[in-house]
Amino acid sequence: MSLNPTRVLTCIQCGKCTGSCPEAGKTPFNIRMLIRKKQFQYAIEEGIPWYCTSCGACTLRCPRDVKPSEVIIDIRSALVEDGQIPLSLQKALENTFVQKNPWGLSRNKRGAWTEKLDFEIPHVSETKEKRLLFVCCIQAYDPRCMVIPANVAQILKRADFEFGILGEEEACCGNEIRRIGESGLFEELQEENITNFKEYGVKEIITLSPHCMNVFKKEYGDTGINVSHYTEVVWELIKNSALDIKGQYEKKVIYHDPCFLGKQNGIFDQPRNILSAINGLQLLEFSRSRETSLCCEGGGGRMFFETEIAYQRNADVRVLEAAERGADVITTACPFCLMNLDDPATEKGQVVKELSEILMEVL
Amino acid sequence: MSYALIVGEVRRGIFEERNLDTIGISSLLGKETCLLIPDNAYTISEKQVDTIIKVKTDEEAFLNPLNLVGIVEQAMNTYGKPDFVLFTHSSFGMESAAYLSGSFELPLITDVSGYDKDTGAFYKSYYSDKIFGEFRCVGQAPYVLTVRSGSFKEFVAEKAASPKIEFIENVAVNTSRTFIEYVEEEKTEIDITKAEFLLSVGRGIGNKDEIPNYEELAGLLRAVLSGSRPVIDKMWLPKPRQVGTSGKTVKPKVYLAMGISGAFQHIAGMKDSDCIIAVNKDAGAPIFQYAHYGIVADMHKVRDKLKEMVKG
Amino acid sequence: MNILVFTKRVPATQEEELRILGDGKEVDLSKLPFKVNDWDNYAVEEAVRIAEKTGGTVTAISIGDAESDEVLRRAIAMGVKDGFLIEVEKVLQDPYARAMLAYNFLKKENIPFDTILTGVQSEDDQFASVGGILAALLKVPYSSMVIGIDNVDKDHLVLRRELEGGLQERTKVMLPCVLSIQSGINEPRYVSIMGVRKASKVERKVFKAKDYEESMSSLIEVVKWVYPPKKGGATMLSGELEEICKQILGIIKEKGVYQ
Repeated sequence: MSLNPTRVLTCIQCGKCTGSCPEAGKTPFNIRMLIRKKQFQYAIEEGIPWYCTSCGACTLRCPRDVKPSEVIIDIRSALVEDGQIPLSLQKALENTFVQKNPWGLSRNKRGAWTEKLDFEIPHVSETKEKRLLFVCCIQAYDPRCMVIPANVAQILKRADFEFGILGEEEACCGNEIRRIGESGLFEELQEENITNFKEYGVKEIITLSPHCMNVFKKEYGDTGINVSHYTEVVWELIKNSALDIKGQYEKKVIYHDPCFLGKQNGIFDQPRNILSAINGLQLLEFSRSRETSLCCEGGGGRMFFETEIAYQRNADVRVLEAAERGADVITTACPFCLMNLDDPATEKGQVVKELSEILMEVL
Repeated sequence: MSYALIVGEVRRGIFEERNLDTIGISSLLGKETCLLIPDNAYTISEKQVDTIIKVKTDEEAFLNPLNLVGIVEQAMNTYGKPDFVLFTHSSFGMESAAYLSGSFELPLITDVSGYDKDTGAFYKSYYSDKIFGEFRCVGQAPYVLTVRSGSFKEFVAEKAASPKIEFIENVAVNTSRTFIEYVEEEKTEIDITKAEFLLSVGRGIGNKDEIPNYEELAGLLRAVLSGSRPVIDKMWLPKPRQVGTSGKTVKPKVYLAMGISGAFQHIAGMKDSDCIIAVNKDAGAPIFQYAHYGIVADMHKVRDKLKEMVKG
Repeated sequence: MNILVFTKRVPATQEEELRILGDGKEVDLSKLPFKVNDWDNYAVEEAVRIAEKTGGTVTAISIGDAESDEVLRRAIAMGVKDGFLIEVEKVLQDPYARAMLAYNFLKKENIPFDTILTGVQSEDDQFASVGGILAALLKVPYSSMVIGIDNVDKDHLVLRRELEGGLQERTKVMLPCVLSIQSGINEPRYVSIMGVRKASKVERKVFKAKDYEESMSSLIEVVKWVYPPKKGGATMLSGELEEICKQILGIIKEKGVYQ
């Protein structure tokens, strides 16, 4: 995935990129200006390239196919090779190299989330359909997110939908790693995961995180494996009556489109359809939704980058708007969005639930 | 003569409390105790050792491993080879013990925290303090040990008589390493050693952005914010806030440790706190062995709930 | 300026549960990931910085198994010129034996040096001694816990040692010398995977430890491995978050530090 180096020269400085950038205005990050600087090969101020959240809005809107998000990755790659990257990002990369997850938690404990279940999940090699449920680092380790794989496992089991996992053999998908600019580490992760996929004859991958889905679908090359997000699968199961939603959910639920699920991969309807299929649930929309959804600022390595300046986070803005619109619950289908919305929500007395958490209450 | 030579740890006129551990292990080993110190006025408890050997040289020269080796050699020539040469496991002890071992081919075990009387083996911690190795010296005596602070002071026994005083003179001073001066750390208004209640954060905090949230909680609880080494190394908190052997030793009424795993260098800096409450999401974190109360939970969640309860 | 820096490949044990096998015979390291010793990383960074400032060269040396080549490649990626591996067949637990091995190697291979850097200690055995023993064998001055090198001169260094309680000691050390480097002395640069791959192109010489074993023997030995004694331990508070926090507030109120 190398960027054509002359691509920046086609930029006409129209500013549509900065116009849609979630970091524009409140942080020193200005993508249009960065592209300009690249055109003239001017130096770029330290710290600036790390603000990008990889939401992809700029690339989607650019009329000249400059792909600014890829230009950012290029700039970052040069900084990575030079060794001059923020300490917290260094730690995340080093941890991923050693333990295959950015938090550096023991690889041997990557399957610990299964301990809470009352049934065994087979290794994908032992399944007939060779359908892999790819768990994702944050969902394997973070206490808030560990419920998601547990929920989805139970939901799929209830629908008699066969799947297996890799357990400790699962390594970070590398989506964020590539966006941080560590292409060497990304290649290593890609190689390790693909080797496992091939060895175990994996035919399908269901991801819990839109980030994992994105990288497997678009950046792992031609693996011949069908990749989908769990909301696509669950919606099919609901449509085919393999899943029966019995319960009531008398709440106003506002849905937040994750960037990697929505604007970058076009999956807007399935999560909404699932929510609409629940009795009593009133689905609300943010003013910026679908393609224009406001990025939660979790992507592009932002989960690990500490900014020097303090500013109002988009997650804050989202939570305030949810309250204004009278939502009882904010929901989303991405673990990073969940984590980023959870903190300001708790502070402001709002509730954030991942989609599977709502589903578990009504199945 | 069967004796243990304790190289006293002194610094700026103070006879460090850590020396109680070397005196203690000497007692446990059943050896006659000779304490080697510079010839200065140090406050040493009476009747804890059999002999005090005062070295006629200034403190900085004594603390220089290049000179110390010569001093120990003189002691050995005058009084015979001891069975053990004991140091505290400190910036002075670790350095000089190693240099001594290399100078005279002496078996060396560092950071000794236990002794098995039946097997004669010494416990030494390994692998982030999760495993102990039981070690035995197989070379020729004297055996050199550095002793972990707090591990043996309970074995200090009172002697029948006051110590004999001996002197060592004509100490050669090596010029290839020379002391220039001490450098104090910058004085700030916050002296964590004076705080009654410390809220201490460790590597589990994850992100510099979280510091203000903990400052807020500390303010609400009327605690002073401190941290363990990883937080200070990353400069998320200034050095005067560091709790640990290379920071400050604290003994507050309450020490609330959040996201601190309990590496020994940190424990050594706070283990005498009146009440230690530890919050960590790893149930196996070593800190739970030293804490009085333990909570296995996400520190951020506990912080938020405490804030909510205190404000509301 | 000729700088040698010792670097070690160690198991990552911070987040792991360790198992003892065979009734105390050995510790099971088979499922652990390995990494460069944290202190050595600081030492390599410091060595490279000194060389960059004074126009010297740095050689990295590792005593370990064949896999230790990893840490040499990493050092080269950070700017070290050469890497030497002293390949041992069995792990040498005794720091004296390791220092003796290094000493014999340096003497036999006639390796020149102005300063030798090690990390303060290694994450696995935590002995903190090889540097000091080696300095004594080489009959050169030694300074441990170096937290800053303030001045590099033709024949001496002025450095700061980290003592207890935030105090530091400024010391002058003549060259040649051995230093052990404390963590926090600098901010090590990030080493990218591509950088390590590029470093593979630089030859790392492999030497067999058994060629340097004169008068090298272990003066201490491990009798067995055990788990640390559990010290009574904490009273664990359990229940819902609300309940736990209520208890915490109750405890601190009882202690009189908060009303």
